[in-house]
Amino acid sequence: MSRANSRQMKLGAFLMAGGHHIGAWRHPDAVAEAGVDIDHFIGLAQMAEAAKLDMIFVEDAAAIRERNVNIASQAARSTGFEPLSLLAALAVNTSHIGLVATASTTYNDPYGLARTFASIDQLSGGRAGWNLVTSASELEAENFVSSGLRPHAQRYERAEEFAAAATAVWDSVDAGAYVVDGNVYVDPGKLHPVDHRGTHFTAAGLLDSPRSQQGRPVMVQAGASDAGKNLAARTADVVFTAAQTLEEGQEYYADLKARMPSFDREPDDLKILPGVSPIVGRTESEARAKYDALQELIPDEVGVALLASYLSVKDLSQYPLEGPLPEMPQTDGIQSRQQLIIDMGRRENLSIRQLARHFAGARGHWQLIGTPAQIADELEERFYAKAADGFNIMGALFPAGLEDFIILVIPELRRRGLFREEYEGRTLRENLGTRIPARGA
Amino acid sequence: MHIGISITPFGHHPAAWRENGSPDTMDFKHLAAQVKKAEDGALDFAFFADRLGRRPIDDLSPQAVPFEPTTLVAALATVARKIGLIATAATSQHEPYNLARRFASLDTISKGRAGWNLVISPETVAREEEYIDVVSGLWDSWEDDAFVYDKASGRFFVPGKMHVLNHAGAHFKVRGPLNVNRSPQGKPLISQLLTGDTLDIAARSAELIFIGARSPDEARALVADITQRLGRHARMRSDVRILANVVPYIAGTAGEAREIRDRLDALPAAGEKPAGLEVFGSPIGTADRLQDWSETFGIDGFMILPPLVTESTHAFIDGVIPELSKRGMFRNAYMGSTLREHLGLRRPPHPASRSAGASR
Repeated sequence: MSRANSRQMKLGAFLMAGGHHIGAWRHPDAVAEAGVDIDHFIGLAQMAEAAKLDMIFVEDAAAIRERNVNIASQAARSTGFEPLSLLAALAVNTSHIGLVATASTTYNDPYGLARTFASIDQLSGGRAGWNLVTSASELEAENFVSSGLRPHAQRYERAEEFAAAATAVWDSVDAGAYVVDGNVYVDPGKLHPVDHRGTHFTAAGLLDSPRSQQGRPVMVQAGASDAGKNLAARTADVVFTAAQTLEEGQEYYADLKARMPSFDREPDDLKILPGVSPIVGRTESEARAKYDALQELIPDEVGVALLASYLSVKDLSQYPLEGPLPEMPQTDGIQSRQQLIIDMGRRENLSIRQLARHFAGARGHWQLIGTPAQIADELEERFYAKAADGFNIMGALFPAGLEDFIILVIPELRRRGLFREEYEGRTLRENLGTRIPARGA
Repeated sequence: MHIGISITPFGHHPAAWRENGSPDTMDFKHLAAQVKKAEDGALDFAFFADRLGRRPIDDLSPQAVPFEPTTLVAALATVARKIGLIATAATSQHEPYNLARRFASLDTISKGRAGWNLVISPETVAREEEYIDVVSGLWDSWEDDAFVYDKASGRFFVPGKMHVLNHAGAHFKVRGPLNVNRSPQGKPLISQLLTGDTLDIAARSAELIFIGARSPDEARALVADITQRLGRHARMRSDVRILANVVPYIAGTAGEAREIRDRLDALPAAGEKPAGLEVFGSPIGTADRLQDWSETFGIDGFMILPPLVTESTHAFIDGVIPELSKRGMFRNAYMGSTLREHLGLRRPPHPASRSAGASR
């Protein structure tokens, strides 16, 4: 037990309007209108906060996710709240939990985005986090002035420069810069105007809000390619990743943490949180029955289309459902996810339908089905085996999927000394235990 | 009449922060308290300006709000649940898809109380018009009854009620559809502060128009000009609400009210005084003046720019609003729930329902 006291899991609640399971919105317990119901999201954030989770997390795409309208119309994923306005609304209805949203470096500008996250950070008293993505989908590219998807290497080059410029904006105002004592409004010695002129952006001027109470908003990333890992090792506080097996998780963990010293960073200043979709039952058969009920809700054409989108291929419906995946070239989209699916299909000798059903459940993330003790065992193993610093919990449906984890699994983790009883601090950075970066670092 | 209020931490007078400002005055709770006060008075909306129309910012102004306006409004929407909320965003600062999405999301979070105060660059009129058309088109991505949430059949939305914009113009290329449901107001409201070089954009696109005049003559001239231009864009005067910006100094007497202004004017200040009509008076005297202006300018009401927070705000809400209500010139309580309903503006029909209606 002594080892548990020194290191505890960090846990995120990955929220999604229709649930992470593609068919979950059809479940009798699911809130089908979640994408237009702010009080549903406020309730979920407050539930996660009552359980002392580190953060809530929302993903994003600046487009609908499926080109085929017949497929799209059978899923709950085409519309929902825009993440930064959602986070702002949640910020003033919570007090301790971290608030992380995804935003693209390809379709924003550094000053505007840095300013917007700083604003959410002020609204929440230092609990905001930015999940930096480079945006891989053609549907997103088609919604913006520059038509066509940028090649992978160029997106990351832009992302590197974007992160540096955004950091400079956050660092342009020191703590205590606003004096406001009747004589002095701001202390000019604590202002450091940005003058960034790079390959992709120019950014100039001052942040128009006070310094973040956590130093800077927390930086989250999910990139798993070589370029993505280097960016994360250099700039991220949290990495959200996908790992199907213990070995994959360990390999990724060791690789990423080994890259950090060359950027003058301690491995513990970055927390690696793989996604996991837990289906919890009081008995194993209850958990299995919950899973089977969800799988029944997936139409084949929706599952196969979702699989095709993760593989970044246009169409899989021309291949037999009972047969294996066809050979395919490496994509310009999300390379890591594609490889993971191909590997799994080969390893377990799965048909297209089986793979589709599998991935529809947890969208390529780790699926756990079992009792609270079984799920805690699995999480504990990966935590101690250095495959994870914690997990991003992906409820299959909401609120039930998250509620089950909180009511059934969290007490089990606490009994084992694996998860906190109380928040350590008021900011996300304090609760994660990652250090406040020095100005200009 | 219709009345909104422009919120800042210290007040719109450039020296207001010297009187009772502190770093705490800048936090969310302080701003939210002002909005809730305005909601107690059943005001139509709270308004948030933004300096970022003129980037970069190389100084920090006490007349600015220290939050990005759209995120601030999202937060306020959950703590003040009746009043309209208008956030400023410049077309130079956002991609049209991102802006359309942010405001549709705000309208959903606020359940129909969001407005976009449009800031444009007068030198690129063709781009600005195209930008607004793209945003408006994206807001029509979904028909009102597109989402059926039919769990039994597995149909989340009706495919034929999704509309792909496929815009390809001189300045923007945007496929769509928007990934936010049609907003509760049909479309978020569009407002604009009238300036000499943006009259035609306002006449074409704005539904709520602010007159930032410093004299009654200037205000009358702007109202006459914009009213005439509406016709050129096939719009009627009743399609828009025109509000004059007012900076109210309120005390026991007009003389005491002027002393507040003189006291603030005597303090050193870096910024300019706000563009609006100054009024000095008791609550009754102020109500008299507003009644007179609203009857003689051809306007629909006022946007209040309190010179000093919280004194001016409280004096207006607690003194002037009850007096206007007593005269039957302002509501006692909210009658509707959306910003458009507060302002008496119609909910825009979806183009598909319009054409279906025409063919019948």
